[in-house]
Amino acid sequence: MTITETSDGSITIVALCGTIDSSTAPELHKSPAIADTLRSVVIDLEKVDFLDSSGLGALVGTLRLKQEAKAAVLLSCMNPRVRKVFDITGTVKLFHIFDDTSAAVEYAATHNEG
Amino acid sequence: MKTLIAIKEQYHTWVHEAFPAMHPLLLPLCNKPFIEYLIDFAILAGSREVRLLSDGQLTEVEEHCGTGSRWGIELSYANLHPADDQQQLLDKNRKFCGGGRTMILTGYNFISYNKQKSYLDLATIATDTPIASCPGGTITLKGPPESGASEKSPLAPFSITPLDSVQSYFRISMETLQTGSSRYVLPGYGSEPDCSIGKNVIISKTAQIRKPVSIGDNVQILPKTIIGPSAIIGSNVVIDNGCSVSGSIIIDNTYIGENLEIDMRIAAGNTLIDPTSGVSLTMEDPHLLVGIKTWATTAILKRKTIHALAATILLVLQFIPFILLFPLLKLQGKWKDDPYMQETGLAGALAVAISLDRFPLLLKVITGKLDIIGSSSRSTCAGKHSYPDSGPLSRLAVFSYAEAEDWPVNGSDAAIVERFHAVHSTPIKDIGMTIKALINRLTKGR
Amino acid sequence: MAFRLDTLNGITVGIAELNGRLVAENSTILQKTCSDWQQKTPFLVFDCSNLDFIDSSGLGTIVGCLRKALEKNGDIKLAGLNAKVAMVFELTKAKKLFSIFSNAGEAAASFAASPVSSKTQ
Repeated sequence: MTITETSDGSITIVALCGTIDSSTAPELHKSPAIADTLRSVVIDLEKVDFLDSSGLGALVGTLRLKQEAKAAVLLSCMNPRVRKVFDITGTVKLFHIFDDTSAAVEYAATHNEG
Repeated sequence: MKTLIAIKEQYHTWVHEAFPAMHPLLLPLCNKPFIEYLIDFAILAGSREVRLLSDGQLTEVEEHCGTGSRWGIELSYANLHPADDQQQLLDKNRKFCGGGRTMILTGYNFISYNKQKSYLDLATIATDTPIASCPGGTITLKGPPESGASEKSPLAPFSITPLDSVQSYFRISMETLQTGSSRYVLPGYGSEPDCSIGKNVIISKTAQIRKPVSIGDNVQILPKTIIGPSAIIGSNVVIDNGCSVSGSIIIDNTYIGENLEIDMRIAAGNTLIDPTSGVSLTMEDPHLLVGIKTWATTAILKRKTIHALAATILLVLQFIPFILLFPLLKLQGKWKDDPYMQETGLAGALAVAISLDRFPLLLKVITGKLDIIGSSSRSTCAGKHSYPDSGPLSRLAVFSYAEAEDWPVNGSDAAIVERFHAVHSTPIKDIGMTIKALINRLTKGR
Repeated sequence: MAFRLDTLNGITVGIAELNGRLVAENSTILQKTCSDWQQKTPFLVFDCSNLDFIDSSGLGTIVGCLRKALEKNGDIKLAGLNAKVAMVFELTKAKKLFSIFSNAGEAAASFAASPVSSKTQ
C-alpha cells in the first residue's frame, strides 16, 4: 500500500493505493495526517483494489479517534469493489462518502468553520 | 437528465418487521420489485443514468438490477448518510451529476404514473421547489433546466404516496393489480388484461382462476384451488389442494397448506398478516403455512461437515483438560452453563484461556445446530437489529469472527467483522479463523 | 384451565377458560378434560380471551371436542378470540363450524335463548 498526502487549505487529502489488509493496515496509522487526531482528512480510496476487515478496522478506528477530537474523516471515490465491503458490513452509515474528492474537501472545510 | 434515487432506511423499517426475509427495495408490488417502478419512472422522465443511494445494504439490489443494461440505462450505486439533506446528496454525487439537470427522488414512496404518457418535459421545468411531495419524501428537480422545452402539452399527471405500513403496501398492491397493466410495465405473460402469469407455472385442470390475478414464476397451483379474484401470487409459491386465495397477497417462497382459506390477508413464509389491523401471526405447523428455503443447500452441507470435523478435533484436544478442570470448577461453583463464563481464579482463567467454556457448545456443532465460527449471540443482541442480521448471513456459532480479529472494541465493531466474514468466508478460511480465535483467547486470557 | 357450571333458564352450561398456548404438546390434556366436562353437560363455552396461540393440533382438538358435543346433541361455542387465534380459525375454515361470541357471558346466554343445538351455518 502507498500513502500520498496532499494539502488543500486546512484539509489533508490522503490518497491510498493498493491493498489494505492486516499486513498493511498498521502503516495507515503511521501516516502523519491520520495520526494527528485534530486534523480533518479526506481519504481518497479510488486506487484501493482490495480492502479486508482489518483494513476496514483501521478506517473505523481512525474515524473514532478523529471524531473524539472533533475532526472529520471523509471518504471519496470508492470503486465498486471497495464500496461492496462497506455495504455488506453496514459501515456506510458511519462515514460521509463522496464520489468527488474536491466536493469532499469543500464539505470538510465548511463544516470545520461551522 | 440524471436521476438520484435516495432511500433512507428510516422510511422502511416496517418492511424489516413485516417481511424479514425481503429487501425493502425488492419488495414485490404486484410481482415487480418496488425499485423497478422508480427506475421505470426515471426512464420515462428521460434519464439515461440513474444512481441508487441508501444508508443500508444495496448488494442484494445490485445483484438483482445489475448495471441497468436490461433497461438500456447506466445504473450505479452509492451510499448516503442518514443525516444527509438534498444539497449534501448533490455534493456527494457531484461527479455523477456533473452540474447538469438532476431529478432527486427521496423516501420510500410509490409513484403513480402512466407509462403511456410522456414525462420528458420534467427535464425542462424551471423550478427548485419539489414537483411532488408527501410526508415520506419528495421529487425535486435540481440544476439548470435542459433546453428544448416543448410547452405545447401539459405535463402528464403523477403523484407519490408513502409506502409506510403494511396497510399502505396492501392498498397500493391491490390498486396496481386492478389498474396496473395499462399504467405500469408489469412482467409476465397474459393474453388478457388483469391476468398475468409468469414462467414455469403449473395450474391444475381443476383449479379456478378468477381475474384480476397476477402470478409469479415457478408457481404450482394444485387441484381444486380457487385463485382470485384479486390475488397476487409471488414466485416460488405452492398452493396446495382445495385452497382459496382472494383479495390477498402471497409473497415469494411460501407454501400454502391444504384446504386453507386466505381472504384479505398477506402470507409471507410462515407468517400471516391481516393488512387492515396489521396483526401478524407466525405459524408453527409446517402443514399450514411455511417458508420455502431457496439458498444453496450443498454449500451449507459442505460448511456444516467441515465445521463438524473441526469441532471433533477440538473436542478430542480439549477432552483431557476438560475432565480435569470441569469437576474442579463445578465444585467451586464457578462453572456456568452460560457459554460466556466469567474468568475467576486460576482454574477459571485457565479454562477460559484454552476455551473450555465453549466445550459443551462444540457438541452442538457436531449435531449441526451451531457453526464453529460465525456470529456470537452477544454482538447480534448488542448491535442494532438491522436487516442483514435476520437473514441467512447471521449464523450462530461457538466462536465469533470478532474473536479472531484484534481490532473490534465494541459490539457494533464486532458486528462489522462478523458481516464481513459471513460474506467472504469459505469452510477452509473458517478453520483458519477458528485457530486465530483460539490463539487470541489464549494470549488475551491473562 | 378453569371450569365452572352456570345455570341459565334451567340449562346447565359449562364455561371453560383456555389460556396460554394450545399446541401439540398440551392438546391431549384438553381432549381428556373436555370429555370429563361433557359428562357434566353437553353445552360448553370455551372462553378464549386468555388464549394467546393455537396451532393446528390445538385446533384439531377443539374440533374433535365439538364433534363429540354434537353427537350428544350439545354444542361448543367460542368466546373472546384474540386476533391471532381468530386468524387461525378463519384460515382453516374452522370458523364456519363454531358460533363465536365476543365474551363468555353472551355465549352462555345464547344457549339459554335456543336450548336445542341450532347450527345456523
